[in-house]
Amino acid sequence: MSGCQHKWKMKNVEFGFVVFEKCFHCNRVRTYFTTEMVAILGDEYREADHFWHRVENAQSFRFDLQCSVCGDLESFGDLMGLLYCTGCLSDCRLEILRRELEAERIHMLMACGFLGESELKPKQVRLDKLEELTNYFNQRRDTARSRIKIVPFDLEDGFCRCKGEFLYDVDMLSQEPITARRSPF
Amino acid sequence: MTTQELIEKVGLKPLSKFENRVVEGVYISDMVSDVMAGAKSGDLWLTIQTHKSIVPAANLVDVSAIVITGGKEVPAETVELASKYDIAILSSELPTFKLVGKLYALGVGA
Repeated sequence: MSGCQHKWKMKNVEFGFVVFEKCFHCNRVRTYFTTEMVAILGDEYREADHFWHRVENAQSFRFDLQCSVCGDLESFGDLMGLLYCTGCLSDCRLEILRRELEAERIHMLMACGFLGESELKPKQVRLDKLEELTNYFNQRRDTARSRIKIVPFDLEDGFCRCKGEFLYDVDMLSQEPITARRSPF
Repeated sequence: MTTQELIEKVGLKPLSKFENRVVEGVYISDMVSDVMAGAKSGDLWLTIQTHKSIVPAANLVDVSAIVITGGKEVPAETVELASKYDIAILSSELPTFKLVGKLYALGVGA
């Protein structure tokens, strides 16, 4: 393990879309990142027993972090997005943690991996990577005022009932201002 | 220059309760993904986006304030969340281009 106190910079930034696809046969949802330049909605195709169609495109980006001291590169291609907790469920472990951290002026975000077609919960991003991502965002701010902490989404007790919101751009092609967004899950 | 000084000199309207901060630069974008990748701590973020997710995005990168340009109406829940996070949401009737001209003339971000 490197003994370097990493000084991270964001590298290899690619903008694209996080695509949410749903199978209208079994209702499974899967997600993936694409660097296609144009969002396509309603594109339908069959893959084995699944009949997929795109239900949402969220403009997003993917990136790596590179240490400016030792050159180590950490890829975050498995990170689908960051969610912030809206405090919708008072007994949720994430909400309880959020309140504890808030008292110390630490703002919490949850890291969510992609959802594969055979999975009911998103894949988790490694804890050590989330620690480095937390360090990166804290290196970008004055931590005397407040700090960031990025936690894994697997602390969330009920994925289907979570009303946390992703930090991504949805409905960018809409002419109307966006006030409410429905969850694609 | 601080956010309070900018409010007075440029005629911005504060919508949320906020901590007065030094403005280090200016970042213009209407995509939270772009802000997360590129904005710096202390930047003044100019945007026409008003969805409440601009607040945690602004908080993540520690911008000094968000300025909603073009007189866009900001939903109450966005203002409420900003007050809770202590993020300044300021409003300007000016389109982004004209506001940037004023900020540049004042030496902000130069």
